[in-house]
Amino acid sequence: MGFLDNSGDIILDAVLTDHGRKVLSKGDGSFRITKFALGDEEINYSLYNANNSQGSAYYDLEILQTPVLEAFTNNASSMKTKLISIANTNILYLPILKLNQNLIDTKQHTSGAFLVAVDRTTEGTDASQASQAVGYNSTNQVQGVMFGESYEDSNYIRIDQGLDTTEVGPKQRSTISDMIESTYIIQIDNRLGFIVDKNGNRVASDYIDDDNIAFYTVDSSDNVVVDNLDDTNSQTQTISGPRGTTLEFKIGASLDLNTSTFLFTKLGGTSNMVNKALQGQQVRYIDTIVRATGMTTGYSIDIPIRFIKTIVS
Amino acid sequence: MANFYKTLNQTDDIVNTRTLLHEAIPLTGTIVSGTYGTNNIKDYSHGMFQSVYDYPFLSSSANHIFDITVGYSSDSGLSASANTQNSKKINIYNQMAQVLMGYDATGSILKFDEDGDLLAGGSKQTENFFMNFSRILVKDEIKKGSFEFELGVSGTFDSSKGVFAKRLKITDASGSDGYLVNSPVGEYGILYATASLGPFVLAERHAYPVGLLFYQAGVAVISGSVFNAANKGGILNNSPGSMQMQAVGGNVGFQFVTGSNISTISNAIRTRIQNIQFNNTVELNSTVYFCRVNHNEFNYSSNPTYLNGSKIRVKTKATDLPVSYITTIGLYSDNNELMAVSKLSEPLKKTPDNEFTIRVRLDY
Repeated sequence: MGFLDNSGDIILDAVLTDHGRKVLSKGDGSFRITKFALGDEEINYSLYNANNSQGSAYYDLEILQTPVLEAFTNNASSMKTKLISIANTNILYLPILKLNQNLIDTKQHTSGAFLVAVDRTTEGTDASQASQAVGYNSTNQVQGVMFGESYEDSNYIRIDQGLDTTEVGPKQRSTISDMIESTYIIQIDNRLGFIVDKNGNRVASDYIDDDNIAFYTVDSSDNVVVDNLDDTNSQTQTISGPRGTTLEFKIGASLDLNTSTFLFTKLGGTSNMVNKALQGQQVRYIDTIVRATGMTTGYSIDIPIRFIKTIVS
Repeated sequence: MANFYKTLNQTDDIVNTRTLLHEAIPLTGTIVSGTYGTNNIKDYSHGMFQSVYDYPFLSSSANHIFDITVGYSSDSGLSASANTQNSKKINIYNQMAQVLMGYDATGSILKFDEDGDLLAGGSKQTENFFMNFSRILVKDEIKKGSFEFELGVSGTFDSSKGVFAKRLKITDASGSDGYLVNSPVGEYGILYATASLGPFVLAERHAYPVGLLFYQAGVAVISGSVFNAANKGGILNNSPGSMQMQAVGGNVGFQFVTGSNISTISNAIRTRIQNIQFNNTVELNSTVYFCRVNHNEFNYSSNPTYLNGSKIRVKTKATDLPVSYITTIGLYSDNNELMAVSKLSEPLKKTPDNEFTIRVRLDY
């Protein structure tokens, strides 16, 4: 007689994250665990082979052999991809987040990142230093450069959500009605910048963790989440199928970057760009990423950001 | 509505537990005297105690394992102003007594009591040596009933061999089922000495109460009587030549303390240690979170590789069951702050056909 399967109850030891330790050390009762989520960041689902001729037991053999890493204690490095609960099991498509670069104001800079000019000299809004600005190319605003001090530009980051497939038409928005993202979490290094809406109004952060990562929970009340009701095959859309919402925001430069070169020296480097006088211009830069995560599906997207500061000669 | 957090029921899904973990701590006499010569023995200019390390103490790898010191009460028969370090020995006794035994109603320091019955008075132990075990060994406390201390009580000491023809064993034999709680530093038990090797070791064949073991404080207070023959107020057999504390000399027991400084008497005691062993205790307070993963939950993933475009890779048609693989459990606050992380040893397949209860334990 065989043994009964006793795999239904699993005991695991957990480790506190660095942020968890920080909260616990406050001793004010704010350390309170109220929910859990499941992650699968080591899994590469492209190894799933539904065409394996040896049968269904072999479809995920390679996935099940995936070695699992020990827990990271850095809260921002763990649980990057989460499992989702959806009651309907007959779903073949899931919404994604995708950077929309189809509008002139939402394109990345030609360097492959969004640039944030950290002061007016770099922006070109300081008349006395205008020739050394890299925010303008002669008389035109440079594509993909956001003005991190004045916000006197029209560039912004736009992330679209929806089913990116031609198998389901954009008019079938009702098929994703329970998977539309109405709330997002945005993470950004708080030493470098912060989130503002398209009009330059600063968005309040939820908390800043021990690694200086600021977490923003945003929705339509913050003027950065907008329903995408365009159900045409417009060239301005990047999602081919049904669309949910768009996340639209800009990035402001921190006071440290605005007034000092300390962090540029410590974390960044120098590069050559073209200034408003169409001549070579040395700039300091720091590369970072901003992560946006949908609060409904957990899907996230990392956006490369470069903070730049003109080296005034 | 899709979601990826599941709220824990604060009543049914979270439970606090307390577990006591024990480790065996064996300290052989060769580490205490022999293996490293005196390189692992640290004496101080103040001369109040001696520290023993598990490795030459100048090395960063060395761990402090215990201290030895001696003391007597000012009204002890051994106390005399002419004694070497007389006041320091009295100070040591008083310091240990005030910390471990506390004070009486008048504010006077209580002496170490032979049977712990302070109200009944009874015999006091006024000449003692003290073994203060390091926190690294004791952890939260010494496990009651696990303490054994074997001591050579014959001949001169020999730091190269540490072999003695007569030995006695001191244990807290009653600790596991009886201990005292009238100390300001927690629980303590009575230490009893019995013969363990050789003929005519003890004056009589019974267990002598020879000291107190303070479990949480990690301090053994042992009476000097373990080195004295019965005709000198001790517990050893009166057979001739049974006990010499000096390297060379006559038949002297714990009276040796009067003419020697604390460091010298500590050496004499230390080199008679045949073996010490006890189990320590770590009190582990845990919170167990029962993460209940039902059949209709967590079957999809936000992993970028889960999708090809927007199509789910693990399905070829809509009616195929979704599949996901769990590797990590994250515990979150109300504010979606990641407080703790737990990992599985291998991916766990999740489909609508199965469900799990994953018990995640967080220790404090």
